[in-house]
Amino acid sequence: MLTIRDLSVEIRTGERTVRPITGVDLDLARGETLGIVGETGSGKSMTGLSIMGMLPGGSTITSGSIRFDGQELTGMEPHAYRTLRGRRISMVFQDSLTALNPTKRVGDQVAEPLLLHGLARRSEALRRAEEMLALVGIPRPSERMRDYPHQLSGGMRQRVMIAMALIAEPDLLIADEPTTALDVTIQAEILDLLARLKEQLGMAMILVTHDMGVVARHADRVGVMYAGRLVETGPTRSLFRSTRHRYTRALLDSIPSLEQDRGVELFSIPGSPPDPAEATPGCRFAPRCAAATELCRTERPPLDGEGGHVFACWNPVAGATAVPQGRALPLSPAAATSAEHRLEVIDLVQEHPASGWAPKGRRRTVKAVSGVSFAVRAGETLGLVGESGCGKSSLGRMLVAMDRPTAGEVRLEGAKVSGVRRRELGARRAKLQMMFQDSGAALDPKMTIGTILREPLAIQDVGTAAERTERAIALLDSVGLGPSIMQRYPHELSGGQRQRIGLARALALDPDVLVADEPVSALDVSIRSQVLNLMRTQQRERGLSSVVISHDLSVIRYLSDRVGVMYLGKIVELGATDDVYERPAHPYTAGLLAAVPVADPEAPAPEGVERVRGELPSPLDPPSGCRFRTRCPLATELCATVEPLLESVGTGHDVACHFPLQPKVGEAADARTTGAGADRTETEAAA
Amino acid sequence: MISYLLRRILVSLLVLIGISIVIFVMLHLISDSPGRVVLGPQASAAAVEAFNRENGFDRPLFAQYVDYVVQLLHGDFGRSYKLNEEVSVLFAQNAGRSAVLSLSGLVLALLIAIPLGILQAVRRNTVVDRAATGIAYLLYATPSFLVALLLIALLSQLVPLFPAEASQSTSPWVVFTDPRAMALPLITLALTNVVVFSQYQRSAALEQLGMDYIKVARAKGAPERIVLMRHLLRNACIPLITLVGVMIPTLLAGNLIVESVFNYPGLGLLFLNSLHREDYPVLLAYTLIGGALTVLGNLLADLVVARADRRIELSR
Repeated sequence: MLTIRDLSVEIRTGERTVRPITGVDLDLARGETLGIVGETGSGKSMTGLSIMGMLPGGSTITSGSIRFDGQELTGMEPHAYRTLRGRRISMVFQDSLTALNPTKRVGDQVAEPLLLHGLARRSEALRRAEEMLALVGIPRPSERMRDYPHQLSGGMRQRVMIAMALIAEPDLLIADEPTTALDVTIQAEILDLLARLKEQLGMAMILVTHDMGVVARHADRVGVMYAGRLVETGPTRSLFRSTRHRYTRALLDSIPSLEQDRGVELFSIPGSPPDPAEATPGCRFAPRCAAATELCRTERPPLDGEGGHVFACWNPVAGATAVPQGRALPLSPAAATSAEHRLEVIDLVQEHPASGWAPKGRRRTVKAVSGVSFAVRAGETLGLVGESGCGKSSLGRMLVAMDRPTAGEVRLEGAKVSGVRRRELGARRAKLQMMFQDSGAALDPKMTIGTILREPLAIQDVGTAAERTERAIALLDSVGLGPSIMQRYPHELSGGQRQRIGLARALALDPDVLVADEPVSALDVSIRSQVLNLMRTQQRERGLSSVVISHDLSVIRYLSDRVGVMYLGKIVELGATDDVYERPAHPYTAGLLAAVPVADPEAPAPEGVERVRGELPSPLDPPSGCRFRTRCPLATELCATVEPLLESVGTGHDVACHFPLQPKVGEAADARTTGAGADRTETEAAA
Repeated sequence: MISYLLRRILVSLLVLIGISIVIFVMLHLISDSPGRVVLGPQASAAAVEAFNRENGFDRPLFAQYVDYVVQLLHGDFGRSYKLNEEVSVLFAQNAGRSAVLSLSGLVLALLIAIPLGILQAVRRNTVVDRAATGIAYLLYATPSFLVALLLIALLSQLVPLFPAEASQSTSPWVVFTDPRAMALPLITLALTNVVVFSQYQRSAALEQLGMDYIKVARAKGAPERIVLMRHLLRNACIPLITLVGVMIPTLLAGNLIVESVFNYPGLGLLFLNSLHREDYPVLLAYTLIGGALTVLGNLLADLVVARADRRIELSR
């Protein structure tokens, strides 16, 4: 139905010419799902936009053809193209917050394609829009029709986007990162929804994503793109089972999975993707490829192969090779066995007034963190995992004293951090450092890297100017960067380099505790593993105690010795990483694990575990009793009335659930780890 | 909503009381003897003193202020020293003319600036955009009296299209009944506002054009005209609403210059003449009205923005 041949796109901005897509060939049959996988700048989104005829300003298709159902799309009349868009070819975008018009009602937006293409009158279009909302699983669609986009949750907005794209029953749907902004539990639901609707409406789909796990389960065929070129394409099974291109192989190897050996360093691709403005004669992956030869650097490999599985590589991977074994990386240093609690959190609570004005007494509070207690030993890494809105970032900010807790305390080496005097806190801050998610925003754009790294030392009055510079160079070295970078500004660096600077700055004062909030979620897969390895090495070498916060279960598993699973401001499960991942005791943990997409099309669907369904309740008034009960398959009357306390289901493995999936140890609650916090929130909930 | 409004109005009243105190004290410091002003430099000291005593101007400042506020609450702005007329009557005569001129200038400016700003955003960095921005900056840097004088030189002297003096009619609707005579004041007012509004609108439209919902509208098959009119326009105008709200009191000041250059009898001209005549009750009332307009403009803008963009909750 869709045939793309030798498609090339150029963007001209002044003197510079960037080629986001070079010579791409793709085929798509009716009813088929094609996954296009690639990192940022690989040209995957541009390919989708070319099909829509919606390339951004300044870019032109320089060669090739796109044939859709016998019609040539390149160079098509704008008017004729418009009759295809939204009617025969539709698109779902990534960010549903900006992709919906904030000042128009949901119903009108969903109905709009029908009106634009003259397929229905207004009342009929609105009726169909309501049906469509019901079809994509939006509860009470007639009420939602009159809502504005901001009144819906992220998952619901994405459903609205899908309803809007499908209302005219297109033949081809292009979904560009449709679930990237969503939590894993919602992601699984949306992907299933797309697959179901595809069957129901008999359309073809192009799934553009950076996530190998997403295409593994949801695509019939997969195309892998690198630096504007299609490097390998084939049936999903064949591509995953007998991967041929070196890049595809390396990409698959560098994804931290839920199964891999945590004691071995994660495979990582050296370097970063090439500048799209540079033209190279050979294979674009050659500079980062371990198997590259002279031929790879001088001559471009043609797409070749059989049985529909083609690849562009001079030295393809032969057969199923084992994952290249990385350096051994011991899990935790000896220090971690010490019983000393370096960081202690006792009954931490954070509540802040909800936005909007309400009379006193009726003023509502957002319960971000509701009575969390844990301890981190010297040299140990604790991972905090949970969906967005579970309070993990609020907790992280309190740990480094960036926010004040409403109640409870944070202790560093037995001394209070929260609620101490300003000057004392300033000194103690040196021992508590934070690494942020978006280093682009967390590094001052007007400072050079040198200044950024020297600043914490200057503030804490450490050493002379010359010593500080020396220290900065040593820090750069420890994060794998050369001293020449000192003179540069943050915007001149790549995302991976910036994240390394973020880590170096956090380490500048030789802290005891490092809190890393989503340290790699803004990075591409091939860069992500580099930073993860670096964090592991630094944690171990410096004997750091760390708290890593992430929504990504694989990242948490790779970095942490112990894991805390958070749900709506509470820790529902806490234990050693292997215990929690292998024997999850809380239904929420089990559901989260089951929702993680696995980069293996032949992996069996998890059985016996109920997926977490529905939406996260509002932290304004969390459910009574167990906060998870509204989404729990096992919930009973008891769960609604009595809040479960953390109880032991094994050595150092606690769960807060009335019906844990693992047998409890004894019957007595472990009073030491739960205590007053849980009791108090319970009475609060009752009040 | 109602409690929000009540609170806002209460706060506004407090602000107005504050403004009135400051202005009252300042004017008193400049001239603490109204008798001298009213009776003139030739009057004897005894006569001046007698006048001040008779009218209560020798009492403590605080007592005078309280008197003034009590008067205000009765709708009495005092009596002009020089024109032998109640201030409220003077304002009633002139306010309508000024308001109609200002508002028509504002509407005209918006009608030009909104499409111009959007056009510039859509055609960003083209010759059209650069030229419009260049002219806007040039005009922005030019004082409005100079703009007015240039317009007179150009459109009245060089090419005698319009009269150099505004209509002297006492009707507030003269802008509509005699547009030819009011053309130059209107153009001056509109031009000085267009340059600000259009640049503002351009950057707001640019920001919205970068949003995905514009892409989505195109992906639905909407022609560019519908993308702009149905999706972009409303979102791109929201920041402008706030700006217009803040600008309402400056319209009053704009009138000051335009009315005096074109000799148009309105509030601005009245203020200017009163300034020369040291007619403090008129000046005091004029400034107070400016303060009230500021407060009102902000409140209106907030309400309209909240109405146009449902994401904004009225709070605090």
